[in-house]
Amino acid sequence: MIRAESLSKKFGLNLKTSMLYGMRDSVRRLAGLRVASDVLRPGEFWAVKDVSFELRRGESLGLMGVNGSGKTTMLRLLNGVFAPDAGRVSLRGRVGALIAAGASFAPMLTGRENVYVNGALLGMSRREIGRRLGEILAFADIGQFIDSPVKHYSSGMLVRLGFAIAAMSEPEILLVDEVLAVGDLKFQKKCYDYLHSLKRNGTSIVLVSHSVGAIWALCDQALFMHRGEIKVAGSVEAVIRAYEDENATLSETEDARESSSEDRATALKVPASDDQEIPADYSGGRGGTGDALIRSVFCSRLTSSGVPATVFDFREGFGIEALVVVRRRVRDPLFRFTINAAHYRFIVTLDSYEQGMVLKEIVPGTFRVRVLIPEQNFAPGAYSVNAALVSKGFAGHLFFWNNAAQFQIMNPSDRFFYSEPNAVMYLEGQFSVDEHDDSTENAAGGDPASGSSDSPLGPRR
Amino acid sequence: MRIFCSFTGGPEVRQLPDLPVRVYDARSPRISTWSALLRAAAEILAAREVIWRLFLRDFISQFRQRLLGYAWALVTPLLGISSFLLLNYAGVLDPGKLFVPYPLYLLLGTTAWGLLVGSVAVVSSALLTHGDLVLRTSIPRMALAVASLAGLFYAQVVNFVVLGVILLVSGVIPSWGALVLPVMLLPVLILGVGIGLVLAVTGAVVRDFTGVVTTLLGLMMYITPAVYVPTSQSPWLQAAVMYNPLTYLIDEPRNVFFLGSIKHLEGFALALLFSALVLVGGIRAFYLIEDHVAEQL
Repeated sequence: MIRAESLSKKFGLNLKTSMLYGMRDSVRRLAGLRVASDVLRPGEFWAVKDVSFELRRGESLGLMGVNGSGKTTMLRLLNGVFAPDAGRVSLRGRVGALIAAGASFAPMLTGRENVYVNGALLGMSRREIGRRLGEILAFADIGQFIDSPVKHYSSGMLVRLGFAIAAMSEPEILLVDEVLAVGDLKFQKKCYDYLHSLKRNGTSIVLVSHSVGAIWALCDQALFMHRGEIKVAGSVEAVIRAYEDENATLSETEDARESSSEDRATALKVPASDDQEIPADYSGGRGGTGDALIRSVFCSRLTSSGVPATVFDFREGFGIEALVVVRRRVRDPLFRFTINAAHYRFIVTLDSYEQGMVLKEIVPGTFRVRVLIPEQNFAPGAYSVNAALVSKGFAGHLFFWNNAAQFQIMNPSDRFFYSEPNAVMYLEGQFSVDEHDDSTENAAGGDPASGSSDSPLGPRR
Repeated sequence: MRIFCSFTGGPEVRQLPDLPVRVYDARSPRISTWSALLRAAAEILAAREVIWRLFLRDFISQFRQRLLGYAWALVTPLLGISSFLLLNYAGVLDPGKLFVPYPLYLLLGTTAWGLLVGSVAVVSSALLTHGDLVLRTSIPRMALAVASLAGLFYAQVVNFVVLGVILLVSGVIPSWGALVLPVMLLPVLILGVGIGLVLAVTGAVVRDFTGVVTTLLGLMMYITPAVYVPTSQSPWLQAAVMYNPLTYLIDEPRNVFFLGSIKHLEGFALALLFSALVLVGGIRAFYLIEDHVAEQL
């Protein structure tokens, strides 16, 4: 139904460039001269570059990528809004678009009047709209407000009505842009059920969404786009893994950048000499009493001590190392590493005292501190390490350093994690599903789930 | 469901036995004049339901929640001529030697001029006004460009009603030419649409271009007998009025309405040809440049 071959689209980097090139190209076209659109001129960038795919009848494709990756531009190329600058795309069948559903409603018109307007905008004839009006209204579930001006509608009602109109147009190709998280759960389920029924009837769907769940629920294949190009293409699960790993890498880079910017804020750079002043408060990303400082922190593989590494496989053991400069004798020192996840801080703590290493004192000098973590079950994602030197006799930190190091746990190739992107730990669990008999529970006067062997159902498996 | 792809010259479309196929590729759009005209006609025909719905939408929205409601449409043309009538009454504006009462002369002149300026304004701004539809739907842009004309036609009908009332009140009986007034106004409409189509696409790329052209058009009113009879002794001004196609497009419908004949047939014919060329050129320019519009929105 859709075949895209090396599809590409470029834009100007700023308004002035766009305007100047637009004027030049317009004059050349009016004069009958050729415009070399496949060449990138100074001040232009490729929003979509060299994208090819094929979608057959009843198949669905998800387009994933961070903001600015070219997903919406790609959708607009398919919808004929933009003309490609290179390549070509052919679409067989009627094309419907679910983009910002409800945005073109006229506020002074009633919902019913807007159904006719928007239905016509989507290519439905008046007769067709009249025939399907009941279905549209039932789907949107607006109730008595259908004859009120839409300016009184809530945003949820607007989107429900817009979705209902677009969905009922039953095109052969449906383009959907981020409109599936609308309404309450019941309505969302209705939308998904309807889209699945369209698929069964042969409609090909292209879905652009940031929601991994939406892509996984609806699509058979996916494209992961990055800066306009296809980074990964294939099954939904493979693409989602790559997408999440990329997001984790970006998050890791952001933490590193944040860490450096905190350092700039406190005017404490990585010291060229260990005599540099250290802030004695918690206002910045690093600080301490001056008795010691941590010069560097990094993660490393279990087999390569001293060699920094930032990416580890799922459940791969690793180590955390720190170079500590002690300026004055420290009694009862404690070394501590805590780990932050993307949305949570201090999800794990590794404290030398808790882990069984007891030091009476540490004298001035430079030391390499290392903790090995032979087994870990972090969920795939990006993490950062905070490092600290504490003394048992002092409630504060002798030295602390937030976001001192970053590491990433990659998605495994033999499993697919999709259910909760904020989860930070993976636990092995064994699921089972058994039939439950309510009548037996009542007769026995107890809870058969208690696992008692006296239960009429027998012991629980 | 109506399909917006049965046209020639645009994105390549082939009607397979069961389903239409649309192809978008990177070729520079080369379109002959004849193909452009056919494509425009086909697109407008295919999108007639959309045009009607957009007109209804804008029309109803315009007059709802207004005290005067639809009666406001009747008041607008009267307000439009009131300033000139006031200047004339005060002795400031001498329109020259007229063959009909000045209000009637003025109303017909402003009707024709308003049709020109109005068609330029609505067509040139249509793609920006309907920017959301340009970016989110595959409605042919030509259909969007002409959709706003529906509102203009309605305003013209109202103008004719007001004209009828003033004729009754003044006791002036027009000639048989009054019956063909809508036909006589077609050339000025054609000219306005042609200019508007060029501005619709070029104005989206360079926004101030539309403002410059509409300002120049406004200045043209001073060398067009819309609200006065040109009686200047200056040879330059006389030449400007004589060679200005708008002179014939505005004045001759009024002559036909009251006198039943065209005073300057040759001038009117040349002006009509000029209008047709501008329209054809406008349609072709529209299709050559329309791809850039969405990029600039």
